[in-house]
Amino acid sequence: MRFVHTADWQLGMTRRFLGAGRVGQAVGEAQARFAQARLDAVAALGRVAADEGAAFVVVCGDVFESNLVGPDVVGRACEALRSFTVPVLLLPGNHDPADASLVMRRADFTRRCPPHVTVLDTPGVHEVAPGIEVVAAPWATKRPLSDLVGDRLRALEPAPEGVVRVLAGHGAVDVLSPDEQNPAVIRTAECRAALADGRVHYVALGDRHSTWQLHGEPRIAYSGAPEVTSHEETDPGNVLVVDVGADGAASVRPVRVGRWTFAREHAVVDTDDDLAALDARLDALDAPERTALRLAVEGTVTLRQRARLDEVTEAHAPVFAALEVDTTAVATRPDDADVEALGLTGFAAEAARELADAARDAADPAALDALALLHRLAVAR
Amino acid sequence: MRLLRIRLRDFRGVHDREVHLAESGVTVLEGENEVGKTSTVVALDLLIDFRDDSRAAPVRAAAPSGRDAGPEVEAEFVTGPYRVVYRKRWLRRRLTELTVTGPATEQLTGREAHDRLLAILDETMDRDLWLALRVEQHTPLGQADLGGHDALTRALDRAAGGGGAEAVGPAADAAAEGLVERALAEVRRYHGGHGRPVGPLREAAERERVARAEAEAAAAAVSEVERDVDLRADLDREAASLAEERRTQNARVHELEDRWSALQARQQEVATSAERAEAARERAARATERQDARTSLVAVTAAAEGAAEDAGRILAGLEAGDRARREDLAERRAEADRAQAASDAATAAARTAADALAAARDRTELADLRGRLRRAGTAEEARREAARAVAGPCADAAAVDRLETLDRAVVQAEAELAAGAATVEVTGLADHTPLTVDGADREIADGETTTLPVADAVTIDVPGAVRLTVRPGLDGEGARRRVADARAARDAACAALEVPDVAAARAALRTAGEAAARSRELAAVVERELAGRSFDDVRTAVTALAERMPAEAAPEPTTRRRGARRAVPDEPGLFEEAGLLDDPSADPEPEDLEPLRLEAVRSLDLADEAHRLARTAEDAWRRLDASVTTAGAEVVAARTAQAVARSEADRRVAELRAARAEHADEALTAAATEALARARRFEADHEQRAAALEADDPTTVEALYATAKRAVEALTRRTADVERRRAEVTGRLQVAGGEGRHDRLAAARTELAAAEREHASVSRRAAAAVRLHETLARRRDEVRRAYVAPFRREVERLARIVFGPSLALEVDPALRIVSRTLNGVTVPFDALSTGAKEQLGLCARLAVAALVDAEDGVPVLIDDALGHSDPGRLERLAAVFGAAAAGSSHQVVVLTCTPARYRGIGATRTVTLNPSYPPPQAVPDGNDDHADAENDDGPADTPSEEFRAG
Ligand SMILES: [Mn+2]
Repeated sequence: MRFVHTADWQLGMTRRFLGAGRVGQAVGEAQARFAQARLDAVAALGRVAADEGAAFVVVCGDVFESNLVGPDVVGRACEALRSFTVPVLLLPGNHDPADASLVMRRADFTRRCPPHVTVLDTPGVHEVAPGIEVVAAPWATKRPLSDLVGDRLRALEPAPEGVVRVLAGHGAVDVLSPDEQNPAVIRTAECRAALADGRVHYVALGDRHSTWQLHGEPRIAYSGAPEVTSHEETDPGNVLVVDVGADGAASVRPVRVGRWTFAREHAVVDTDDDLAALDARLDALDAPERTALRLAVEGTVTLRQRARLDEVTEAHAPVFAALEVDTTAVATRPDDADVEALGLTGFAAEAARELADAARDAADPAALDALALLHRLAVAR
Repeated sequence: MRLLRIRLRDFRGVHDREVHLAESGVTVLEGENEVGKTSTVVALDLLIDFRDDSRAAPVRAAAPSGRDAGPEVEAEFVTGPYRVVYRKRWLRRRLTELTVTGPATEQLTGREAHDRLLAILDETMDRDLWLALRVEQHTPLGQADLGGHDALTRALDRAAGGGGAEAVGPAADAAAEGLVERALAEVRRYHGGHGRPVGPLREAAERERVARAEAEAAAAAVSEVERDVDLRADLDREAASLAEERRTQNARVHELEDRWSALQARQQEVATSAERAEAARERAARATERQDARTSLVAVTAAAEGAAEDAGRILAGLEAGDRARREDLAERRAEADRAQAASDAATAAARTAADALAAARDRTELADLRGRLRRAGTAEEARREAARAVAGPCADAAAVDRLETLDRAVVQAEAELAAGAATVEVTGLADHTPLTVDGADREIADGETTTLPVADAVTIDVPGAVRLTVRPGLDGEGARRRVADARAARDAACAALEVPDVAAARAALRTAGEAAARSRELAAVVERELAGRSFDDVRTAVTALAERMPAEAAPEPTTRRRGARRAVPDEPGLFEEAGLLDDPSADPEPEDLEPLRLEAVRSLDLADEAHRLARTAEDAWRRLDASVTTAGAEVVAARTAQAVARSEADRRVAELRAARAEHADEALTAAATEALARARRFEADHEQRAAALEADDPTTVEALYATAKRAVEALTRRTADVERRRAEVTGRLQVAGGEGRHDRLAAARTELAAAEREHASVSRRAAAAVRLHETLARRRDEVRRAYVAPFRREVERLARIVFGPSLALEVDPALRIVSRTLNGVTVPFDALSTGAKEQLGLCARLAVAALVDAEDGVPVLIDDALGHSDPGRLERLAAVFGAAAAGSSHQVVVLTCTPARYRGIGATRTVTLNPSYPPPQAVPDGNDDHADAENDDGPADTPSEEFRAG
């Protein structure tokens, strides 16, 4: 039996660094493309399920970014689901818990929701098809007070002969999040025990946005988000195609569906050559329109080099979906040539020297700005 | 720059003139008005500023009037390292020539020459300072604009011992000044007055503010949903627990309801027994009441009998007393009547006696009055007689006195006549010789001589013998007339008094006086008799009395005690002597009234006594009568009371009899006793039942039951309330779900982040602008402050020569004099007098000239200034020139038409300018209109004049 394990679609998510639109218009072009990319990934995994001949698709929580997403997000999600050719099971997670505001019970969802979609908003065993059961452990509130997966597992008897049973859960596992204080953390030992005595044959988890499998037990896995959501993620953009054999043995295969990259780059800039190299590096990056780059620069530069650095980054910024440049580690040290280049005399020259001296002290950033402005004004003369 | 020589050709009114200037120190150019002093200055400006092909207004104005020649200027000067000869001609035969003789030789013409010269000047000289140090003719000599001049700045900088050692171009600081302005413009992009944000800074702040408000509102909207979700969960829990509680409470209500129903049935029984006992009690009470009523009726009947008998006794007693009193009353009445009759009789007797007395009194009075009337009449008659005597003419004593005076006058006149008149002596010759003298018979004895005065004619008759008439002569005529007049007067008076002579008059007067006395006496008698009344009054009284007197009851009184002298008829007029009038004996003897009076008094006393007795008797009768009446009323009342009491007693007796016929007294007593016993039995039964019920505590059971029911009701209400709130929350959640609050919040936070970034960035740019401008301006002011001190020192040094040692000046960083302090009094520069401004302005310029480097320096040009300075100040100003020149080598050029002003300045060189006219043959057209007066004067012999100062 083959099915597709996915989670954390996070539909309706926006990212601040993708920028606002014009003044007063919050959602810009990059933001809109990113939203579309999430829907595209969903459609892609639907095609994967069809191509792979999966029996069903189980989405382990956080289908939506929030229960309070608007009707347009819900409507587009329903449209994406409509393209699926296999049953789809949607589990409420921590972002969209099955409380009184559950989006998947809302009229705008139920009206458009295609019939092959099932919302696992009640805990317990669901029969997807004869011989195929999904045990749902949905979130009923944002703050569960127990291990929801463990609770479900403890309530189970071993699966009857010939029945494949998949548990769908959401939340952090104890090996990744050893938080003694969190009562809802999923205890992997219990999962292992349940796998061992045949109560379930696979534990499909959501919440972690990178693909992950328990070391030594590939049947306990996070599929990760089908499209990247954060710079912190290590391996996002995948779905898991899972095969469960008649003996209960399972094989898990990640398939990539995401197309965006949230990247971090680091550059050291001390010389004019370094500046040229950085320029070249930025030029060489693939698919910048689908890349949100965080560039951390460090080094010590003169005023002219600093101006050049700003020029380089500003020149590339429009190409990327987002380019965030962190220059806090760049020390700007105006040198004598910086001051002389101004060609100032008299008291203006003295003022320039005073600002340059002050600018060498990192505690006085305004002096550097003032000096830069003096450059601009002197050149404009 | 130092001017060495300047030559003008065909320039305005100057035909050709060359002036050599002292290379340092003061050169005075003196000359008449319009001789072309100012043209020299103008020529220098044209030479530098205008190319030879210029046709600008100043160039055309420089053309010589009426001659077809181009104005030409040639100047030789030293500037920086260069020594230059520069010549230019405009309008006609244009020409520019530049010859540089050092450090390297250059020879240029035309446009090249012009540009090169400007380059040399720009390189070596501060042209602004050149203009600033110039004092134009007819313009007030005020503040020079000295700030920002390179040469001066360098000089002051050096004087201040400041830095700025590097060699810089002359325009550098001006450029720096431009930077300050541009930095300020940059600040103004972000900050308005008082640092108020404007433009992009304000917009960025506004965008952030709006974004923050929106983010907060969106977050609040999301929080609202989260609260509602929690609330809904709470309500769900609450509804479940309420349902459970209601089930428990309902079971309890059913249990208590059963207990309470049983107790209610028993309560009904207790109530019934209570009613029964109450009925028996009421019956017993009624029996007792009947018994009591009978007892009371018996007692009332007995009392009524007693009362009736008492009333009868009282009535009998009263009736007996009434009868006795009535008999007594009749007796008293008779007594009173008798006493009254006696009183009436006594009163009548007293009245009779009084009448008799009154009649007697009337008679006596009548007699008296008649006597008085008669006597008064007599006296009155006599008085009238006397009065008539009094009324004669001689009664006037004064008239008689006058008569006597007249008589004495006659005697006097006669004596005078006799004394003065002739006398006739008649001597008797015989005894008793008769003779008549003037008709008067007389006798004369023998030997007797009688001397007769012959006052008038005296007739002496000897009877029968002769008539001898002796007449006086004319000598005694006056005396005789006086005698005659006196006699006439006396005789007239006698006639008036109706007397024959004076003696008669005297007698008449005496008689009248006596009559008057008697009249008064008689009037007194009348008065006394009539007692002040008039005769008529007395007569009326007499008449009245006489009428009152009954004729029959007026018997002539006969009783007399002095009756011997009576019988004199009562006739008036018989008494001659007034004294008789008073004789009472003429009256009839008065009647004796005493016995009558005594009788009247006695009978009156008797009548009074009788009356008193009658009154006493009547009082006694009346008192008794009143008491009889009172007692009668009492009897009537007693009779009524007795009747009432009797009737009451009869009624009671009848009532008692009837009652007893119905129920005997003993039957009533027995019935009451029996009813009471029955009531006690029922009460005991009721109490027993009630106590048994109370022991089962129905109150508590009822209260528990009621409480349980209320609890169920409360639970029902709470359930309804929870359901309602749940519905509300659910409704809100449904609405909120469709609003996309998450999307709104995400968008708002994105916008806020962008707005914050933008605001921070703009703020940083604004801060940079502020910082830059602040730094530049501070540096500039520091430089200027450093300049100010040496400049001020130099100006003060010079100005103290003019104003005295107490002078102090305040100078601002732009090198403007702010105020002058003299003898401790500070005055702002603008408030100074024109003369003082002029003097300070000159000092400032000379100070600059003295301060500026010799090779940087420019000439100080003063065109006829100091017109506002008095001679004393002028002398001191002259000293200023000298002091400024000391230790310095700058060049000063003074142009003046009043050389005396600058006599004392110790000029290095003085040049007298004379008019310079073209030679006559140079005039192309003699018919030209020569408007310019300079050209009409005689031709000048020398094109150039130069004098070394002595
Ligand atoms: Mn998630």
